[in-house]
Amino acid sequence: MATKAVPAPKTRPSKSEFKDKEKPAQIRSSNIVAAKAVADAIKTSLGPRGMDKMIQDGKGEVTITNDGATILKQMKVLHPAAKMLVELSQAQDAEAGDGTTSVVILAGAMLETSQKLLTKGFHPAAISDSLLHFSAKAVEVLESMAIPVDLTDNASLLKSANTALNSKVVHEHSGMLAPMAVDAVLKIVDPNKDQNVDLKDIHIIKKLGETVEDSQLVDGIVFTQKSQGIGGPSKIEKAKIGLIQFCISPPKTDMDNTVLIRDYAAMDRVLREERQYILNITKKIKAAGCNVLLIQKSILRDAVSDLALHLLAKQKIMVVKDIEREDIEFVCKTLGCRPIASLDHFTPEALGTAELSEEFQAGDSKFVKITGVQNPGRTVSILLRGSNKQVLEEADRSLHDALCVIRCLVKKRFLIPGGGAPEAELSVKLTQYAHTMKGMDAYCFRAFAESLEVIPGILSENAGLSPISTVTELRNRHARGETHAGINVRKGSISNIIDENVLQPLLVSTSAITLAAECVRSILKIDDIVNVIR
Amino acid sequence: MTAESVLSIQGKRSSGTPVRTENVIAASSVANIVKSSLGPVGLDKMIVDDVGDVTVTNDGATILKLLEVEHPAARVLVELAQLQDEEVGDGTTSVVIIAAELLKVADELVKQKIHPTSIIAGYKLACKEACRYIQNNLTMNTDELGRDCIVAAAKTSMSSKVISIDSDFFANMVVDAAMAVRTSDGKGGYKYPIKAVNILKAHGRSATESAIINGYALNCTVASHAMTKKITNAKIACLDFSLNKEKMKLGIQVLVNDPAKLEAIRQREADITKERIEKILKAGANVILTTGGIDDLCLKYFVEAGAMAVRRCKKSDLKRIAKATGATFLTTLCNLEGEESFEPTYLGEAAEVTQERVCDDELILIKGTSARTASSLILRGPNDFYCDEMERSLHDALCVVKRVLESSSIVCGGGSVEAALSVYLESFATSLSSREQLAIGAFAQSLLVIPNTLAVNAAKDATDLVPKLRAYHHSSQIKTEHSQLKYYGLDLIEGQVRDNKKAGVFEPTLSKLKQLKFATEAAITILRIDDMIKLEQEPSKESGYQQALKSGQLG
Repeated sequence: MATKAVPAPKTRPSKSEFKDKEKPAQIRSSNIVAAKAVADAIKTSLGPRGMDKMIQDGKGEVTITNDGATILKQMKVLHPAAKMLVELSQAQDAEAGDGTTSVVILAGAMLETSQKLLTKGFHPAAISDSLLHFSAKAVEVLESMAIPVDLTDNASLLKSANTALNSKVVHEHSGMLAPMAVDAVLKIVDPNKDQNVDLKDIHIIKKLGETVEDSQLVDGIVFTQKSQGIGGPSKIEKAKIGLIQFCISPPKTDMDNTVLIRDYAAMDRVLREERQYILNITKKIKAAGCNVLLIQKSILRDAVSDLALHLLAKQKIMVVKDIEREDIEFVCKTLGCRPIASLDHFTPEALGTAELSEEFQAGDSKFVKITGVQNPGRTVSILLRGSNKQVLEEADRSLHDALCVIRCLVKKRFLIPGGGAPEAELSVKLTQYAHTMKGMDAYCFRAFAESLEVIPGILSENAGLSPISTVTELRNRHARGETHAGINVRKGSISNIIDENVLQPLLVSTSAITLAAECVRSILKIDDIVNVIR
Repeated sequence: MTAESVLSIQGKRSSGTPVRTENVIAASSVANIVKSSLGPVGLDKMIVDDVGDVTVTNDGATILKLLEVEHPAARVLVELAQLQDEEVGDGTTSVVIIAAELLKVADELVKQKIHPTSIIAGYKLACKEACRYIQNNLTMNTDELGRDCIVAAAKTSMSSKVISIDSDFFANMVVDAAMAVRTSDGKGGYKYPIKAVNILKAHGRSATESAIINGYALNCTVASHAMTKKITNAKIACLDFSLNKEKMKLGIQVLVNDPAKLEAIRQREADITKERIEKILKAGANVILTTGGIDDLCLKYFVEAGAMAVRRCKKSDLKRIAKATGATFLTTLCNLEGEESFEPTYLGEAAEVTQERVCDDELILIKGTSARTASSLILRGPNDFYCDEMERSLHDALCVVKRVLESSSIVCGGGSVEAALSVYLESFATSLSSREQLAIGAFAQSLLVIPNTLAVNAAKDATDLVPKLRAYHHSSQIKTEHSQLKYYGLDLIEGQVRDNKKAGVFEPTLSKLKQLKFATEAAITILRIDDMIKLEQEPSKESGYQQALKSGQLG
């Protein structure tokens, strides 16, 4: 802990500071204030009617976003305690992918409550222990109200993806993006076996132009490059796809070399040799039955020379070049082919097979799309379009959130209602539970239970409703046993939120509560900040 | 305690209403710049950039692109204009004006304590309703109205530009050009790839002496003056490599011990190219176009064969020529045996290839292409700025013609659609009892900015004209016998309200729909922002030299 860093008392004149009993309290208070400020800063972006933030970075690049994790990452806060909250939202992003704003707001509310408790004379360690107990109990309550969901139940999955997209700029397209997210995740998981989803198997390709509505899910793969070579084919049915990692250009040795020509006849020979060499490669490729050739990007020399492109086009082989090295694995997995590092290994077995490979025009640019892959791997590509850079980036982030939500459901197959219902329920249930306890814990429990009401409060405030009347009504309903009552933002009233199709994965809420509690506990335990001067 | 004082970030942060107001002001100031260029009597802007290049234009997208706007919210509007330009090609000024007006009105509503989200919901609803209304009630089918209406739509687009005086002449020219590049899309419909219309500019002479050429005009000259300048029944070869003396690649050295051999090598260098040229000529080519160079030495072979050779053509031009003439665009002569050859099938055909003099420049014209028709426009004008602006105006008009032809649906211009929508949306708003009512009313109000600006730019009395126009539209919407009044719009020359269907003021429906959709989307994007964070630039790591210079070490 930080106190270990206190130097030997006699060497430093500043030792008097540490005798000051007020110091730890002040540090704690300043940490809490700084961390709360972070929560305050992003609270307006919570919920379906949340607002966006515009962030202009030092280079003048503008980001417009509603995603808590992105806002905080871009914001560059300075205070170390505030930074902990930023990390907190990052952790939620990695764990659940959604609820990055709520987690910070929850932490902020818990900190505020802790501060009140501290002024009442509670010891930080006692608050912290109580908080641990509290979060465990909260998870229990949440699990008790959860609804199990089956991965074959498409409608429920759609609803939860919709809820995640609701607060984003692109939410008018949620009717299209939500099914896309659900289909994409379901395509890459085996519902019976998988407990987790590797989102890397979902390739999101962003391309400026058109509108978000023109985005599409591609069962196969899309390359943003156009096919190379003039006069080559732009559509191939029954494609045999080869992925090569070597170059089709005049050979080069590793060492410097020079070819000496002593005779004019040798000039012809040099030229002919080059042609023969390239021709030989292309013929071998053709002989293996390949008709779509993917070429890895090479920085040392041209991956493919003009001459080679010409010859490949003549042999009706479609060429896509500049495949990034990091994409190779994904491409191989999707197409069921093997990367071929040398011409000797270019055999029919290494090729992948697909129904159709074609070049298509979308807006101003051309793409190559390969569909109908035989023995496909569990991968999928999503081609995302957007009218400007900001919209495109935000669509990407929103889609990521939706994908994460579905992933959460794969990890933990339970749904809970959204719209502030779980928080209100927790608050009511835990207050009741507090009445059965004794001592400091009881006091802390009640205070923290109340702090959870901040989420419905902010939700209603952002929706333009009166927070006090809405929250009290919500509390009332939950006290009467309506577990699924939540804030219906569209109608501006309290209703059964499940009927409104506002659902979220259990994992998002449980991870938000546990992460927030842990973060608050670590902030509470700090009683000194030591700036190391370099 | 306010959040600003506590949350320490590396930069400036402002939030709440001030941000919105600031964004709205920035957006309106962008709109104010282009406002005066709207409409047939709109004026032009002269923009001088930092190297002193001058652009004179009336096109909203061009003005905004050249402005280098810094404010992030204002940049959203600039991008909006660019988007409209890409998607439709026309209506770039209107879209910016509408978006700014939507924002201005929304800001007023926010100040009256209406929550932004309610306004956003209202705007979305209004936009949807407006688009539906346009499609159901205000469109006309071009098939009924014939070619005249396409020409009229082109004229409307040009009416605000420098060429408005000769708009009859240019509108016909544009329609002819668009018709010439018509290609079937394979599904029974047609496409009009207007990029295939080649526009060349040459200053000198009057604008009316601009011409349309049924063929392809190439801004190049023959490589040698000894060559023939006119070839009928041309056989065209399109090449993407140089016909220079063959150079050996890097890493290949020629070592000569005997001076006599030097000559042989030099001879061989020339011969390699000579053999290539002979192969091409043998196949029957008499016009050779290449993107690379041709050695002066090699030119004599072409001259001897009576062929035309053109060097340094643009690659994009050549690709189009290859398509139009049916030629194969070759990057190398290599064939599958590893030898070099040139087949007669690689050649394209055209009825005539000539070199003609236009102003100071000489152009190569390829007429009567065999595979597809092509068209080129040669623009003449008193100065370069004029020619540039003509090109932009014709581009706009071409886009309009393309949209009209492809969708065969038009609406009336001159503020007619906006007035109709404003009247319709106002009555629609009163039929709603929810919170969106006010926002829809505001949407309706802000659409009037178009007829208002049109009238103000024409120095007419907007307060008099616009209510008149609205009255016409109101009666068209409530009385079935007056339904023809829905085509009424402003006549800005006379300062009257007239039937714009008869007067032939048309715009493509697509343009209007996209304007509304894009403007609403942009307004919502800006309205949703309630927090602005400007980060400070990170201290750049300058090079040692610059640091030394700054600290004065270099004296």
